[in-house]
Amino acid sequence: MTSLTDRYLAATLRSVPVARREEIATELRASIEDMVEGRTTGGQDGTAAEREVLTELGDPARLAARYSDRRLQLIGPTYYLAWERLLKLLLSFVPATAGVIVGLLAATDGENAGGAVGEGIATALTVALQIAFWVTLVFAVLERTRTPLHLPDWSVDQLPEGPGDRQITLTDTAASIGFLAIFIAYLPMQHFRSFVPADGDGNLPILDPALWSFWLPFLIAVLVATVGLEIAKYRAGRWTWPLVGANAVLDLAFAVPVVWLMSTDRLLNPDLVARFEWLGEGENLNTVATIVVAGSALIVLWDVVESVVKTLRDRR
Amino acid sequence: MVSDEILRTHLQELRRGTVVVASLVALRRPDYGYALLQRLSDHGFPVDANTLYPLLRRLEEQGLVTSEWNTEERRPRKFYQTSEEGESVLGRLLADLAAVQTSLTGLIEGADR
Repeated sequence: MTSLTDRYLAATLRSVPVARREEIATELRASIEDMVEGRTTGGQDGTAAEREVLTELGDPARLAARYSDRRLQLIGPTYYLAWERLLKLLLSFVPATAGVIVGLLAATDGENAGGAVGEGIATALTVALQIAFWVTLVFAVLERTRTPLHLPDWSVDQLPEGPGDRQITLTDTAASIGFLAIFIAYLPMQHFRSFVPADGDGNLPILDPALWSFWLPFLIAVLVATVGLEIAKYRAGRWTWPLVGANAVLDLAFAVPVVWLMSTDRLLNPDLVARFEWLGEGENLNTVATIVVAGSALIVLWDVVESVVKTLRDRR
Repeated sequence: MVSDEILRTHLQELRRGTVVVASLVALRRPDYGYALLQRLSDHGFPVDANTLYPLLRRLEEQGLVTSEWNTEERRPRKFYQTSEEGESVLGRLLADLAAVQTSLTGLIEGADR
């Protein structure tokens, strides 16, 4: 037979199990010849008929997959949801965690702030890519080997709680705790790694180093307590009056010292203030202080009012 | 007006399972791939060659058809025939097809009332 059919057969048989290769070859060749013959007896040119028949049979890889009952999909419906859920779960926190850890390590290792941030982001991206690749690979292999996963069947108990059942979502809580963690980490960080270079070596801390004797540890303790409050809030699932009270106390415990320290010129590092001439001119430092005071008051007011409103809304 | 594309997918889905039934019926008389393709198509079951040939192999592996090589003719051909097991499966499939038809008829008549 002509070489086109030979080439088609070779291409098809390449990915068919060896044990059945010869048999399929003989049968498929006969079938192709039958089909060509069917056309040439109708008066068609042999070469054109062969081309048509092979085109009709289609991509040899697809035909081979049908012969060996192989799946032409990376991850099929059986595994897709498990793959998607696992991927989402891992991507939701692993890259960010790894990035923050590497970034912090780089920062304490004496690298500059920009370099540390860059290294953290690069790590997070690499980790995300690795997770996506390996999880997908494992599921693709499962798909091919058809390994049963024995996952528990879906049940109605797995339904997410409706908006009426849960006022505080996991996303909100995670975001709040994440923000608090960054804030807590920033307080010691700014002492060693501000963006402001000192005259000699190292950096100028943003906040007055004298505050480390009491006020900065106190503020960190308040922030840690706020993390506890976020967790308690999530466990309760909604705002309650004790939570509103605790929230207000913690808000004030943070804002009042900040406002007081700022307005008595004790919050910012005096060296830093001296460094920026603009801060020393006229009323500029007072303007900054006023902005900080007003801003803090506004945030506290907003937070307390929001918690009260949400509690009242839930009562109804 | 529903698009041809949508109509084609629905028709395809409706026809999908009937290829097996038609093949098992047709192969009560032994036949080879291409001849079966022609026979099915003549009787209103147009099947793609690249679907039918692998399907015959699968039915053979499942024991629903048996095969025998015929080397007497010009080219060696593999003849398939519905096996006993295939016959009993076919009986179930035909009964189910009839049941679908009956249910559908009942539903159509019921909907008119």
